[in-house]
Amino acid sequence: MVGVERRVGGFYLNVIHANLGGEKMRIKVRLSVVVLAFLIAGLAVSWVFAQDAKEVKLGALQDTTGATSDVGKDEALGVREATQYYNDNGGINGKRIRLFQYDYGYRVPEAITTYKRFRDYDKVVMVLGWGTGDTESLSPTINADKMPYLSSSFSGNLCDPKKTPYNFVYGVDYSTNARGAITYWFEEIWKKEPKWKDLREKGVKPKFACFIATASPFATAPIKAIKDQAAMLGFEIGPDYDIPLTALDTKSQILAAKSFGVNLGWHGNTTMSTSATLKDAYALGLGADHIMTHWAFDENLPKLAGPASEGTIGLIACALFNDEYPAKKKVMDYAKKLNPGVPIENRTVRAVQGWVKVTLAVEAMKRADKAGKLNGPGIKDAFETMREWQGLKEFGGQLVTITPTDHRYSSVVRVGKVMKGKPQPVGEIDMRAKFPDKWASWLGW
Amino acid sequence: MGYRPCGVYHQNYRQDHAWWQTRFVWGKMILLFIATYYIIPKFAGLYLVSVANVVGYTILSAMGVQLLIGYCGQVTLGHAAFLAVGAYTSTLLMLQLHLPYPITLILGGITGGLWSVLFGLPSARVKGFYLIMATMAAQFITVEFFITQYVSQIGGRGVAFSIPPGTVTIGPWTVQSDMEVYYLMVTLVVLCTLIMANLLRSKIGRAWIAIRDNDIAAETMGVNIIYYKLLAFFVAGFFGGIAGAFWVTSLAAVSPEHFQFGWSLWLVGVILIGGVGSLHGTIFGALFMTLIPEGLKFLIFILTQEPFFVNLMPFLPHLLEKFLFVKEAAFGLAIALFLIFEPNGLSYRWWQVKNYFNLWPFSY
Repeated sequence: MVGVERRVGGFYLNVIHANLGGEKMRIKVRLSVVVLAFLIAGLAVSWVFAQDAKEVKLGALQDTTGATSDVGKDEALGVREATQYYNDNGGINGKRIRLFQYDYGYRVPEAITTYKRFRDYDKVVMVLGWGTGDTESLSPTINADKMPYLSSSFSGNLCDPKKTPYNFVYGVDYSTNARGAITYWFEEIWKKEPKWKDLREKGVKPKFACFIATASPFATAPIKAIKDQAAMLGFEIGPDYDIPLTALDTKSQILAAKSFGVNLGWHGNTTMSTSATLKDAYALGLGADHIMTHWAFDENLPKLAGPASEGTIGLIACALFNDEYPAKKKVMDYAKKLNPGVPIENRTVRAVQGWVKVTLAVEAMKRADKAGKLNGPGIKDAFETMREWQGLKEFGGQLVTITPTDHRYSSVVRVGKVMKGKPQPVGEIDMRAKFPDKWASWLGW
Repeated sequence: MGYRPCGVYHQNYRQDHAWWQTRFVWGKMILLFIATYYIIPKFAGLYLVSVANVVGYTILSAMGVQLLIGYCGQVTLGHAAFLAVGAYTSTLLMLQLHLPYPITLILGGITGGLWSVLFGLPSARVKGFYLIMATMAAQFITVEFFITQYVSQIGGRGVAFSIPPGTVTIGPWTVQSDMEVYYLMVTLVVLCTLIMANLLRSKIGRAWIAIRDNDIAAETMGVNIIYYKLLAFFVAGFFGGIAGAFWVTSLAAVSPEHFQFGWSLWLVGVILIGGVGSLHGTIFGALFMTLIPEGLKFLIFILTQEPFFVNLMPFLPHLLEKFLFVKEAAFGLAIALFLIFEPNGLSYRWWQVKNYFNLWPFSY
């Protein structure tokens, strides 16, 4: 009897399940129809938008998840905010900029495929690039494709138009910057500061060494130049100490540097590993002074390295985010408007660099458009017409001069120092004025 | 081991050992040949061709890993080192000695193979985790030390350098554009797959598989396990060297950054997803690991920048940076899900599908 009831019950339940199954099926079908309708409508609308001829396509390759994402994330935000600003203010002579922004995680193969996507699929007119490794790897390709490429890598190797005619940079090139930093230290610190008085008076040569990711083209780009400058100034040059870009512990390298007795260290990585190195140097009492690339010198350095960063010298590409500079209001406004989720106090100089990058690209595209040649060769020519252009001054950048024979954007090196836990500008050196006989021979390395 | 379709009976060994045993398979392979050599280059567009080049590079790179892990049971986490050896050998021979590319390609492969044997030597004594550590040492000693500090300095070009256009030539043919690189890639992938497949069904392949399944049993059966393990390292390093030497043609540049530890791990991921111990698995894994990130990139772009979605949901562009992380996370999740739900990889699914049709309608 019980069994029958169960069977009956089971049968009854099965009927309900079957009905529910039918209902579910109907819901599924309806959902699929709605999704399909959305997709078709979306594609139709995007097709209509895609027909908009008044559009300029700009590709941007960013690292927001890879080894240099410590500085890459904020730059990506800056690039997007700046593009929005220029779109809100008339775009490229009335043409809207369509930004194609992709993350490549600092993986060279992905940079290559993304570039090809820009070229063949998105059909952009120019690319805002990122790292030295990928930019230098892509250089032969972009030159063959005649694709203007404004990269965040300011490697000196990219500045000689004879070798890399379509590569441009938006800051003082790494090599000039590195030469400037060591020259500044030699003139202003070694020759003047009481810390080095004893050694100086003994006639000892200052000992110099580099703390860099030796496998990274980015970190090694200016090393030949800085060692050349060090030799010229009379330094004793020590070995390179390998600090990976993602290093958290550098004690063995610091101990080795200590046994060499280094007086001045060059840090060629980004902020994260440089602050790890500074902390270990501080903890182990290295006693040396530190100079560093502009990719290591930002608002986060004192936050990460604390007192270990006090007094360190770095290069400054443009204004720090919270400094005073003419464009501050719009930079702040767009930061708040487009990225309200990122606290303003956490934004850095990298965002301003994003603005500088887009501003320079927009100027070149505007000039090319006016000349009626908004294409690769046209934009290249437009870049090369810039003479003492003032547009970047409002972001704390330099006067821009780019010629068909020299793509180094400026010779003025701006040096900063961490004082009271804040990076601050302390001086400028015009390397062309200081070394007029050498300047031309420094092109392209 | 697949099943033959219903009604196909073999009457001699020749039929039984043929590569392609039925007309249907012949037809399929001819179609594949036409697709790879004609349809894809003609209709896919340069972007897809360049993605295909990365897929090809991944297949060539993962081939050696598949051989070592999947067929010989020697887990390796340093395979990018042998790619680097091949890439630098080929590039420097072209730039310094002006040797023709095909010769540098083969020399790159041989150097990669010999270098691999050097780091395979510990496999004579150690197994499992200890061997993994030894192969990791290969990665760091080779790329971070030898190549970065010494090999890349030959010729004074610095640690990373480009290859001038027109350097890579095969006879009268200059390999420069993506399309030319594509044809080179397809040819190399076909050749390497054929070599590998042939090796696997020979005495050597059977010895490798015996070592993988139980090395002590293999030794009692008379397999010289040290010899065959080292041979596996040589062949894996050879394929790695070929992959590295191919990659420089695609990139026209070489740098130690291309051969980091991450890439060695990536290659193990390729064979895990594709299927360990399967040649198809290498190809499926390479396709998956290259196409999925590209597809996700496309999806994220549509969601955050396509006017339709942006107008519909204006907050989407603000999530762009978050989405970029989602892409990485989704990828990690895909690997984890694969390991849980598809531990035999994509090739197992392929095998099932193939058998289903072969046995149809009498699958029981």
